Amino acid sequence: MKEILKNILDWLEPKVNYADLRFVQTEKENIEVENGILSSYNVSTSRGVGIRVLADGAWGFAASNNLDKASLQETAAKALDIARASALTKKEDVRLASEDKHIDTYITPITKNPFQVSPAEKIDLLVKATKMMIKDKVKKSEGLFIFYKTDKIFVSSEGSELEQTIFESGGGITAYAIGEGDFQKRSYPSSFGGDYATRGYEFIEEMNLLENAERISEEANQLLVAPPAPTGIMDIILGGSQLALQVHESCGHPVELDRVLGKEISYAGGSFLTLDKLNNFTYGSPKVTIVADATVPGGLGTFGYDDEGVPASKSFLIDKGKFVGYLMSREDAFELGLPSNGAARAENWNRIPLVRMTNINLLPGNLELDKLIGDIKEGLYLDYNKSWSIDDKRINFQFGTEIAREIKNGKLGKIYKNAVYQGITPEFWKSCDGISSEKYWHIWGVPNCGKGQPGQAMHVAHGTSPARFRKVKVGASK
Amino acid sequence: MKDINSGKELVNKVKNILKNYDFEIIASREKSELTRFAESYIHQNVAEADLNLTVKIINENRIGAVQMNSIDEATISKNIEKAIEVTKVTPKLDYHYQLLTPQSYKIKSKYSKVTADFTPLNRAQLVKQLIKEVNKRGYEAAGAFKTEESTLLVANSRGVFAFDRGTKVDFNCVITRDNSTAHTSFIDSDVNNFNIKKVTNELLETALKNVEQIEIDPGVYTVILSPEAVAEILNYAGYTAFNGKTIMEGKSFICHNQGKKIFQETITVSDDPFDELTMPLPFDLVGYPREKIYLIKDGVVKDGVYDHLTALKYNRKCTGNTLSPEYASFGALPFNLVMEEGDSTIDEMISDTKKGIYISRFHYVNILNPMSIQLTGMTRDGTFLIEDGKLGRAIKNMRFNTSVVDMLKAVDMISKKRQTKEGFVGPTVAPYLRTNNFTFSSKTSF
Repeated sequence: MKEILKNILDWLEPKVNYADLRFVQTEKENIEVENGILSSYNVSTSRGVGIRVLADGAWGFAASNNLDKASLQETAAKALDIARASALTKKEDVRLASEDKHIDTYITPITKNPFQVSPAEKIDLLVKATKMMIKDKVKKSEGLFIFYKTDKIFVSSEGSELEQTIFESGGGITAYAIGEGDFQKRSYPSSFGGDYATRGYEFIEEMNLLENAERISEEANQLLVAPPAPTGIMDIILGGSQLALQVHESCGHPVELDRVLGKEISYAGGSFLTLDKLNNFTYGSPKVTIVADATVPGGLGTFGYDDEGVPASKSFLIDKGKFVGYLMSREDAFELGLPSNGAARAENWNRIPLVRMTNINLLPGNLELDKLIGDIKEGLYLDYNKSWSIDDKRINFQFGTEIAREIKNGKLGKIYKNAVYQGITPEFWKSCDGISSEKYWHIWGVPNCGKGQPGQAMHVAHGTSPARFRKVKVGASK
Repeated sequence: MKDINSGKELVNKVKNILKNYDFEIIASREKSELTRFAESYIHQNVAEADLNLTVKIINENRIGAVQMNSIDEATISKNIEKAIEVTKVTPKLDYHYQLLTPQSYKIKSKYSKVTADFTPLNRAQLVKQLIKEVNKRGYEAAGAFKTEESTLLVANSRGVFAFDRGTKVDFNCVITRDNSTAHTSFIDSDVNNFNIKKVTNELLETALKNVEQIEIDPGVYTVILSPEAVAEILNYAGYTAFNGKTIMEGKSFICHNQGKKIFQETITVSDDPFDELTMPLPFDLVGYPREKIYLIKDGVVKDGVYDHLTALKYNRKCTGNTLSPEYASFGALPFNLVMEEGDSTIDEMISDTKKGIYISRFHYVNILNPMSIQLTGMTRDGTFLIEDGKLGRAIKNMRFNTSVVDMLKAVDMISKKRQTKEGFVGPTVAPYLRTNNFTFSSKTSF
């Protein structure tokens, strides 16, 4: 395939300022079990080529599932036509931050290829776990596994030739306790489909689903009869899973430079982290350091090279509370006179690379969890996301969690249901006065980050350990 | 799979490979192009050609499905082998799976050749025209303009054969000047119905009013919702309350309210492929004909929509709302949500409001409590005070936490005029609504 791509590139080169071609082939296995019965087993394969050209100083992109050389040449010609149409409205030529030529291969290191584990073994594990959760008012249980193997070939007119194979594994279980006019759910290891990583089947085995199934079923039953969370201003601790989503929505998205430059304004929105705030804005307390790190082993946002051929890297976004960096593509980085930090990613062959999160990690602090809780007189421990919403500049947010635990005089107490908390992003992060240590730190995979038109769902991750926030507005959904 | 004959060939190809098994197939072919602009220039401009074939194999009440985007015989055979292997090791369903028998279909998707043939240059020229006009008033434009042609085939080994072809235009735009913004959206099957001048004028009219926003306190307000805002609320309600599977599982508001007259008689919401303003699909993804299903009729809560699997499992009637096997575990969604019109004009609704708020659009809506259909979200791109019957000062964006049930109970005016807006599956047809019970919980700084 690489040779065909290079032939097309040869044809394109005299006609363009820049071109890249990406072949992507994805295998996906999706297994869903409900109450011990297989509800869905899907295997899918998708392959195609996306051709991106910069001609007449403007972008064009065309993609096709038809892989013969003649069809791909037509696709390349289409991309050129599109670029020329784009040029009709251009203000100035698109320029890219410079990037070295790279010729390399990358393969996700895995121990156990998930596609070589029999479907029967995978289904059996979910059948057992979902059966174990059916107890008392838990009338519905779900289990899910998803595995991906993605092969990519990237060639560019700057001479880069990259081949990558990315493995991803993930899943989880959920228990629903159903009563009269109410139901409550508990998920493990995380909500909305579980946890995901660029790892093999060993990631699933380490989840210990069977060891946790009864516990979350019991918690769902307890939630059904629990009182609603109290309303008021109080100190809270966010557990790692909920904190991952907090990082995602209130840091990961607003540091996307394309949002800041207005390129997403009509759909996903803009960002309060405008250019004047770079290196000049207190985003959070000195406890808060957040990095983009596509090199961390196992993160769902870990790869060798992004989809513009830029090597995976680690860069600081928030350093001890100060806002110091954006997520950038080559085009957007050029606007700031910076090199790209390798954050241009495309969902598949039929989508263009956009500025996307990689692994956006809140670095751990040095506190034991007991100490974090121990310093709260009256508050709540909130975890596992149930609802999320944030405004189009990423300032006003509101999240709901599956479970809340009372904290009284430094001790965890009773369970509350339907907890929500609201805040204003920088005020909230400035109220962070403690983060638990590396011992509690985990990278949570988020496989459904939406952005762009046409829409793209990106696989990203967030390393977090439970953290404490003071004087937060808390309430309960009704 | 460009036409009905190539669709038949594809079915025969699968039939020859799967001689001894029952099967269902879904095949789709899509040519989709989208021009995206921001800061008043085209910054992303894409085209995609793809096809997808899903084969679902039923083997002694065990099901396996494979999906591929290449339909040569070798690829189909290889993938089908995988699915057959899976059906040999998976547990049996806890209900009897039955294939649908051949059906007849009353409607077709709308198709426009002009739309199918619309070029990147055609789109760029219209975008340029809009940019020129809004730039004259000091605004920047951002948005997306999509034209699409698609074919869909659904068939099975019992003789179901359903073929359809349609086109779609989808345009949305936000214009901005500092904190002054406005938004519009348009969907249709025919690009000839798209009037860039009208769209530009609407945008400017709203944006020029949406300036110097003032802050108001959170609380319960009378609001008038635009069709765009109503459509979004209806889709979240459809998603969380009217999915037959969640009703059967006891996880829906409908469970304890079916047959009850909860709303005013003026409230009627249906899934209606026959409404003149919608863009219908003739069948669902196992081949059931689409039909009109009342969700709320004359204020009475009726029922949800049901997919083939849920209907078989719980002995219900499938309503023609089956999704693709990839979403089989989800259940069903309304395809063509339609809210019936009222008898007011939007001018009457405003002039009749002593104190209220007009909402143009929501942002990032999500479900807070599925059983009460309590939603949260932000306002965006034009929220205005209504004072003494007049649309007045613009206000800063607000977060709402409000129950759709409470909100609909307090609806006292519905517009005659309705608009077609994007929905979760197909388009949603929605009027303007006035409700006296809409709860804002906090505000933001812009």
